[in-house]
Amino acid sequence: MNDKKLKDMWNKAETLMEASDYKSSSIEQFISGRSNDTTQKIKTMIIFDLVLKAISLCVLAIDFVLYFGTTNVMSVTIAGIVLLLPLIFMQYKMLNRFSEAADNGQNTRDKLAYMLTYLKTKFFTTLLSVSGTYLFGFIAGSLVYFYTAYGYVRPLDGVDFVVFLTFILIGIAFNFFVNQGQVKYHIKHLEICLNDLNDKNLELVSENIELQRKRDRSNKILLALVLVIGILLLVIVFKNIGFIIK
Amino acid sequence: MKVLRSKKKEFSEMIEKHQAIIHRVTMVYTNGPADREDLFQEICLQLWRSYPNFREEAKFSTWMYRVALNTAISNVRKKNRDIHFEQLLDNDRMETESSDEKEQIQLLYRAISKLNRIDKALILLWLDEKSYDEIASILGISKTNVSVKLVRIKRKLEEMIFTQE
Repeated sequence: MNDKKLKDMWNKAETLMEASDYKSSSIEQFISGRSNDTTQKIKTMIIFDLVLKAISLCVLAIDFVLYFGTTNVMSVTIAGIVLLLPLIFMQYKMLNRFSEAADNGQNTRDKLAYMLTYLKTKFFTTLLSVSGTYLFGFIAGSLVYFYTAYGYVRPLDGVDFVVFLTFILIGIAFNFFVNQGQVKYHIKHLEICLNDLNDKNLELVSENIELQRKRDRSNKILLALVLVIGILLLVIVFKNIGFIIK
Repeated sequence: MKVLRSKKKEFSEMIEKHQAIIHRVTMVYTNGPADREDLFQEICLQLWRSYPNFREEAKFSTWMYRVALNTAISNVRKKNRDIHFEQLLDNDRMETESSDEKEQIQLLYRAISKLNRIDKALILLWLDEKSYDEIASILGISKTNVSVKLVRIKRKLEEMIFTQE
């Protein structure tokens, strides 16, 4: 079979399948719809988390005003705000990087390579940052609840404390593993495609990934530290003290 | 709001004119009308989202191919249903064709559907008369690589079609 015959067959098939032409009005509806793409889901997750972090920050600022004069609670809210601000900044930078990696307008090799590099190096950090939001959201929300319900931070007994902490940790772990599982499948798919594109591609990208991983190690350590400090804040708020509004 | 609406309208009209490109991509990467429509919608959406980054230095059709192929290649679905050619080809139109031609077209599609996602993109661009330079620029590989791969893919297609005949 020669090239011409192959192209003739293709053209014939194309003529036969021109049935479903869309009008511009339908296309306008399509571009206003929702995406089912995995990369879009990740982007939505980052944006949603950014919004949640911003809300937690605002609520912590409100808590600061509500508990003004109660030094310990004020210190906790200030510590929360100080930790959240760089997290929001970092998350925003991650969103920009992810948007660049996810842009479908670049050539296929670059798109696959950038996406794979992001998912293999930055996604873990993104998940850590997303998980941290639960803690800050919980602290900020609880402070508002205690203020409206009791007028002060009610000290929790041992059982309350274990239950709250367990729920938070389950939430963090669940969010972490569900997202990680979804992304693992995507990573495998990207690796196969890159390999099919050119045998040496995956090798080159892997070297780049290793380099990036080394650079990002400090970011991961910092984030892990923020999570630990967040848990400590939680302990300070609910375990040791009973602040009374003066 | 008005500006966005008029931009959307203008963009949709452009896509309407060039929609054959999206149809070609969806034909090769999906297994039936429902999947085809889903992918068509997804490609339109991705084109709209990438549109602000579109630089005039590239041809609009080349840019459209890039976005459409990248979307189709990255579109991960765990379930891979078998391709049904009865669904894929318009039966009313097919009835007017000779059974020999019908069989040949089905064989071509069956063979293309067995290629990996990257090879599908290469053969699709070649069948659509794109130059090696353009194929290389869309996929981000060298011209030599395009040429080597195409020889291999065409040979593979030939083998598959003749074996099934």
